[in-house]
Amino acid sequence: MINDIGEARIRVPDQIRRGDLITVNAIVSHPMDTGFFRTAEGDPIPAYFIKDVVVTYGNQEVARFEWTSGISRDPVVSFTLKADKEAPLTMVWSDNKGASFKQSVNISFISA
Amino acid sequence: MTERRAFFRSCALALTGLLTSRTERLLAVTGLDSGPEDPEVPNQEVARILKQLFGDRPIRRGHVQLDMPIVAEDGRVVPVIIESDLPMTDDRYVKGIHLIVDHNPDPHLAAFHLTPAIGSVSISTRIKMKRTTWVRAILETSNGEV
Repeated sequence: MINDIGEARIRVPDQIRRGDLITVNAIVSHPMDTGFFRTAEGDPIPAYFIKDVVVTYGNQEVARFEWTSGISRDPVVSFTLKADKEAPLTMVWSDNKGASFKQSVNISFISA
Repeated sequence: MTERRAFFRSCALALTGLLTSRTERLLAVTGLDSGPEDPEVPNQEVARILKQLFGDRPIRRGHVQLDMPIVAEDGRVVPVIIESDLPMTDDRYVKGIHLIVDHNPDPHLAAFHLTPAIGSVSISTRIKMKRTTWVRAILETSNGEV
């Protein structure tokens, strides 16, 4: 279970052949607070959410997501990727307080 | 599936679906005869967002599948799957997917900017939904079509 804010995991298939269209699943632990709620004492809970995600494959930015607090807590995202090179797949999640969280997996091929 | 196929016209690029608390899966707009409002006429806030994103470019229908669960058990965590048969080649690809949820405090809930390296349009995530409302997935291609 992911508990600490910013803990992230990226999952790709175990066996990838060059040229495969793979599915990437990623999750990061984050409250994604909307700013509309208050504590039991009535104090507002400020908006606190991931607002940018940058996906890099090798040295190329392949996707970029802009999120609002309308994305659920502990945001998950899945997308496809053309696995055409052996290189790291890196994701950086940035939140509205200026923190960034990074995770990487290596894309490597099994010999077909 | 067949209703969807019958609904799609060629070269159309936007889709709206109505999420109710018992959700029907991906509703083609013309298949619905009742709903809170006509999605063709977005509310003022959504209209403003669409204008800001796409200017006066017409938003066409088709080529997009927006899947949401039959029963949205928890409005805080509603799975959304956006898929399209539009190509992702170097010269023609989907460069942006905009997810707009009418009546959410910020209706422009998310934007997914893609490159051809992504290979296909198949994005899924989980969103928050307050109430029965329209969910729109609008794709923008590299040559400016919407």
